[in-house]
Order: sequence, then C-alpha cells, then structure tokens
Amino acid sequence: MAEPSRRPTLEMRGISKSFDATQALDSVSLQLYPGEVHTLLGENGAGKSTLIKIMTGVHQPDAGEILLDGILIQIGNTAQAQNYGIAAIFQEPVIFPDLNVAENIFISHQGRGSVVDWRKMYRDAEAILAKLGVALDVRSPARGLTLAAQQSVEIAKAISLQVRVLIMDEPTASLSAHEVGQLFKLVHNLRDQGVAILFVSHRMEEVFVISDRVTVFRDGRWISTKPRDQVTPKSAINDMVGRELGDFFVRENRSKGDMLLSVKNLSKQGVFSEVNFDIHRGEVLGFAGLIGAGRTDVGLALFGVEPADTGAIILNGQPQPIRSPQQAIDLGIAYVTEDRRERGLILPMSITANITLPLLKKYLNILGLIHRQSEQDTAENYRKRLSIRTPSTHLEASKLSGGNQQKVMLSKWLNTQPQLLILDEPTRGIDVGAKAEVHTIINELAAQGFGIMLISSDLPEVLAMSDRILVMREGRQMGIFNHDEATQEKVMTAAMGQSWQTVEMVSA
Amino acid sequence: MNTLRRYIRPEQIRELSLLLLIIMAVMIFGTQIEGYYSARTFNRIATGVAIITVVAVGQTLVVLTRNIDLSVGSIVGFSAYFVGTQFGNNNDIAPLLGILIAVGLGAVLGLVNGALVAYGRVPAIITTLGTLAIYRTILVDYSGAKTVTTATLPKWLVDLQRVNLFSIGEIDIRLMVALALVIVLIFQLVITYLPYGRRLYAIGSNPDAARVAGLPTRRIVMTAYGLCGALAGLGGFMFLVRFGDITVVAAQGMELQVVAAVVVGGINIFGGSGTMLGVMLGAVMIGTLEQSLIRLPNISEFWKDALLGLFILLAVASDAVILNRLRNLWARGDLKLVSSPSTVLPQPGEATHVP
Repeated sequence: MAEPSRRPTLEMRGISKSFDATQALDSVSLQLYPGEVHTLLGENGAGKSTLIKIMTGVHQPDAGEILLDGILIQIGNTAQAQNYGIAAIFQEPVIFPDLNVAENIFISHQGRGSVVDWRKMYRDAEAILAKLGVALDVRSPARGLTLAAQQSVEIAKAISLQVRVLIMDEPTASLSAHEVGQLFKLVHNLRDQGVAILFVSHRMEEVFVISDRVTVFRDGRWISTKPRDQVTPKSAINDMVGRELGDFFVRENRSKGDMLLSVKNLSKQGVFSEVNFDIHRGEVLGFAGLIGAGRTDVGLALFGVEPADTGAIILNGQPQPIRSPQQAIDLGIAYVTEDRRERGLILPMSITANITLPLLKKYLNILGLIHRQSEQDTAENYRKRLSIRTPSTHLEASKLSGGNQQKVMLSKWLNTQPQLLILDEPTRGIDVGAKAEVHTIINELAAQGFGIMLISSDLPEVLAMSDRILVMREGRQMGIFNHDEATQEKVMTAAMGQSWQTVEMVSA
Repeated sequence: MNTLRRYIRPEQIRELSLLLLIIMAVMIFGTQIEGYYSARTFNRIATGVAIITVVAVGQTLVVLTRNIDLSVGSIVGFSAYFVGTQFGNNNDIAPLLGILIAVGLGAVLGLVNGALVAYGRVPAIITTLGTLAIYRTILVDYSGAKTVTTATLPKWLVDLQRVNLFSIGEIDIRLMVALALVIVLIFQLVITYLPYGRRLYAIGSNPDAARVAGLPTRRIVMTAYGLCGALAGLGGFMFLVRFGDITVVAAQGMELQVVAAVVVGGINIFGGSGTMLGVMLGAVMIGTLEQSLIRLPNISEFWKDALLGLFILLAVASDAVILNRLRNLWARGDLKLVSSPSTVLPQPGEATHVP
C-alpha cells in the first residue's frame, strides 16, 4: 500500500496524448513507488501502450509532467529514458541472436572504453545473473535460448543499466506456467531491491499474484488505483468495461438466411486451435478478444493469406481448402484488413486504381488495354455509395483520412462481389462520424444478405453490431454468445480467461 | 496555380530538370571538345544510347517491382557473342531468326534469375550478382577464348548499323535508334495501359497489399525478369551489330550504365514509381556522358566510371530529398483541396447526370 509520505520514484502527472483524431491519453496520472509492483489494467485501446511509450521516450506527451524523484524531467528519446534508469521489456524480447549472453546484457553500454575488456564483461554478466538467481552460460550465443531465458537476459540488461523503473509489457504472454513462476521470482527479487515495477498483463490470475497496487485505465482515462486487497477480478473487469454504449446504430432485427460458411476444428500450429463456428447469410458474427488472441489469424486463414494447418472450411456446403487469396476471392470471400497501410492499400496509387486492383481483368477493352473510363465509373459509383470524401478519385490513397481510406478498402472488396465479408477492425483509428457511417454500411450489407465476420476490439461496437459474438483468448475459442445474452462483462471475462462462474465465486 | 499543379506533377519536374541537365552537359562539352556539334557526334552518341535504352527498359520492369538485375551486362555479352558465333559459322541464318535467338537466349537467362528471386526467395541483389559472374564464366568457357570478328559476319549485319530510316539535315535517324524508340513506346504503353503494368507498380509499392489483393506476385516478378533478360538479349544483338568484333569481355560493366540510366531517369530504386520516358532521358544523359567524356583531352578514361557512380548517388539522393520535398509541397496543395468546404468537387460530366 502506498504511503503518501514516501516519494514516488516516477510520477506521471496529467499526461495527455492524441494521435490524429484519437485521444489516446486524457490527463492521466500514475505514481510508481520504490519497491512496488504496480499493475496497469485496461482493454485494448485503453492507453496502456501509449503511456509506456511516453515513459520510455518513444512518444512525447501533448500535456502533463513527468517527475523523477520529485524533479521535473523530459524524456526526449529512449537513450534519455535509459539514463534516467527507466527500462522496458516486452512480450517479444529484443535479443541479438548472434551475440552471446554477456554481449546482449551490455549491448547498450557506452563509454566503456574503445577496447572490449572481455574478461571483465563476462565477470560482470555472471555477477548480475547470480544476483538474479538465473543459471545461464554468459558465453553462449543468445540464439536458441528459450523465451523465458531471453526475458531473463532482458532483465539482466535492465539491471546492468541501474534500472530504477522497470516496465514489463505483457512479459508472460508467451511463457509457460513454470516459466511464469520463474519470472515472478525475478520480479519479486527486483522489487525487494527497491525497483519500481510497472506490470501490464491481461491474465487476471497473474495480476493477483504479483501486484501491490492495481490501476485501471479505460478509453485513455484513469479510472481507479487501489491496493490489491481491495480489488477483485469482478471489480477490475467492471472498471475496465464501463464504457458508454454511446449512440450506436439501432440494430435491426435481421432474418437469418441459409448457412454460408461453416468452420470446423480450424487450427494453425502455435497460432490458434480448434476454432468452430457458422455464419449464415445476413448474419454478423462478431469476434471479440484482446489483441493477439488469434482473431486476425483466423481471418487470414479463411482468406488464404496464412492458411490453416488442419480443419475444414465449408462454404455453401462444399469443403474448400483455401490456400491463396486469389482462391478465396474466386470463392466470394473478401478480407478488409486491419492494417490499412501495410496490407490494405497501395498508398501511392490513385483511389480508382486501388479499387479495381483485384479485378483488373474486368476493365479491359477489346485490345486488352485497361479501359480507364469504366474503371473511373466504378470508382465514382462507390464514391457516391459509400460517400468517400475526396475532390477526385484520381487522388492518391495516401492523401485520404483514415475513415475515407477505410471506405476505399471496403469499395475495393465490395467490388469483387463477395458473399462473405471479413472485416478486421473496420473502425479503428477513424473519427466518430466515419465510424457511424461504417456501422450503417455494415448493417446495410447484412440486410442485403452478405455474411459478415466482424473482428473488433471495440467491445460496445462488437456487442451492438453482431448477431452472435465469438470470444477468443490466446488462440482458443472461449465461447459464442447470442446477442441477447452478451454483456460487456461476460465478453471481457471470457476474453481475460476467467470463466464467469469462477469470477462470481471469487468475489462472493 | 492549382490547375498548373494538377498538370505538372513532381515526377515531371524531375524529367524536365533532367532534360535541362542534358542540355547543359552538351553545352559544356561543346566548349571543351572541338567539332562537338556535328552530325557525327550525334550519330555516335545515339547508337550508344539506343543500346543502353533497350536494356534499361527491361531493367525498369524489374526495378519497378522493388528488385534489381545486375546480370544484364553479362546477358548482353553472352547474347552478342553467341549470336555472333552462329552467324560466323553460318552466314545464311535468316536475320529474324538471329534476333529471335538473341531475345530467346536472354529470356531464358532472365527467367533463371526470376525463378531464383521469386520462387527461391534469394534476394535479388545476391542472385543477380551471382549470375553476373556465372553467365560471364559460362561465356568464357563456351568461347574457348576465341573472338567473333567482323570479317566472319554476314555483310547485311555489318551494314545494319548504318541503315538509315530518314535524315533531318545531316542528322540521321538510324534503324537502331528507331528500334529503341519503339521499345520505349511499347513498354510505356505496357506499364500504363496493361493490367500487367499496373500490377508491377502495385507489387513495388506494397508487396503485402498486392498479395492480399490476390495478385500472383511471384509470377509477375518472374515475368519481369524474363522480359528484362529478353530485352538484354536484344541489346546483345544490337551490341553485335554496333561493334562486330566481340570478345568474352563484351559489355562487361554495362550494368553500371544501365542502373544509372534507370535511377537517373527517375525510377525509384525501392519500386513503384517512374516512367519509361524518364528512363529514356536517363539513358540519353548517361550515353552522352559516356561518349563525350572519352573525347575530353584532360580526363582519364577511368574517371568515366567514377562520374557515373557520382550520378547514381546524386540521383538517389535527389530522389530522397528533393522529390520528397516537392511531393510534400504538392500534397499540401491537394489537402487544401480536400479540406476546403466545397470538398466534393463535381467531376467533369457529372453534372449532366443530375436531373
């Protein structure tokens, strides 16, 4: 429990940060005391990552103060953060596989003289690892170390830099239960040495084992900070999901059509396993879960970008082993990616060229040349239908706002005349107005008989738009809820890996 | 200003400034070299430029996909020597068959590159650096250290380089030059009006998005290499016509000139942008430098390559710095258009649809 008399090692005061239209952090404050493990909880998009990036100097806050030992500081870049003794380790350790353990530990040390004193480096590395109670050969290359061992190297690296604030962003996500136990020993060890630790995890059970205090963020705002003994899984989840449902499109009652897609025991080694669901024509099946739960991977498998290893995809009653996007397109599947820049649009190309890219063959004249006018007509048609706001369809896609880029991607895929539309985070990073428009479009498409797989990390959105909601967690399907029975609490609880009953028992 | 900005894009400014540079270079050479302004100079430069242009057009297809082909010099040499030997052995081979052999041989060598890059996933620069050496070595082995000489070639082949289509005053427009112009025109049409061209740009700009859009990216990259090889093969035939005497080191180092022409001509080395007309200007620039520098009395021939290298560096640097600045300037203008209140400007012809 934090005593007001003690001075926090690091204090964040009234930090705000926005990216384009999105307010990622809205005047949040957080104190990290020496010798505490402070857990930060929040849904996707709650602002945890942004705060971490500000603490490590990756981003600069728009407003607010950062105090180290009560002294105002500015963290301009990651090197400065290191000098202040602030270090972060992530789910995927940053390791140089061809360097040995000792070199990895001392990689960011500068000013140790121009000649490497190998003997001293090995001695120091061994001393640090001994202090941590980790048995690793400092001379062996980092390649081939287990993830847990790599995490240990990362922690050793932080210690070698005289870390005072250690940020751990989902460090356990890829670890086995045994490895998590070892990591926690390390964390407690560090805490006892007076390090302030900020711990981010989505695994509720871990949070209660390791934390001294728990802070919850929601929608970029601070919601609560409580000592662990005053927090229950249920109260934490309530704090996390208390989002306002807002003005969502009034969901029309839709009539379910014929069975369109049936997925049976779909698995991909190390990514997701045993996924089972059906989508009917005219139905929106929501996919809820935390980032990294494997929802996008299921979408990529259905579209043939990263095909599944085993399991069946049955489309209109026919089993279809889909191995490539071209095949999926021919079968009437379309995938609107979450990643507009990397996988979605060819940014330097015009809006028109982007829309017609998958179906260029349909725009040829007798000579086999591209018929610019008919291309143009299609683009104009979609510009009106989806109200894409642009002075001209000749404009480069890169010049559009996020919401309009999203509409260009939708146009591109609607133009392939799909039956099944996979929408991956269709409203992420776009403004409220565009978001409402996308929701209207989704409803219209469902009414026209499209089957829609809606992957969304926006809980109110997925609850409002979907007929049924499939929840995934760490590559596993946790259950499917009907629209009527689904609540934010139930879905979030499933996504965090607590069965609803267990939570009730704990809080009773 | 806005209309002007719509018609002149940053890329065209680049081509215009390249044209200015060429004129400046010619003027400088004119003051330094005696009798530089003559039909003879023009004809000599034009023939050299024609060969570089044809090979550079092929290289452009590959570079548009964010790859590179360093083996073109070896392919040109191989094709020139191989076809030269065939004609030397049998003077009666039909001209068209000779050209087909050259193009076909080049295409095969190009497809080998393409298969390794697209399907073998070997990085393009490594693959073609390897085949640059391998193709040359096969040629050395095949030739048995003999050379093709003009005396052994059929007369029509030797005379071909002086075949004139028409003359403007004393300046001749020769068959070889016309051929290069036709190739440039054809491939400019290909990259603007064929789905294949659109796909080359798409792959070069964003390979992942191209794949997700269902494009057969590997096949497209492989064909680009095949076409590049075929054009290098044709370049080999032109090389044979121009020089007649072909040794095993023919066209060695030509990849430097070709890559320079492509890059100076405004093709982004990271793929996805540029035009064939720009490449032709690039080839003119490089060819003019090449043919003129050797006539400068005070400059050693070795400086020629250094100057080419300098031009590549300048072109890439100006692409990164100047062109990006220009693009940003243009983008700001376009954004103003987007965000102004009358955002949805009517398109020409649109008004007629309104009842």
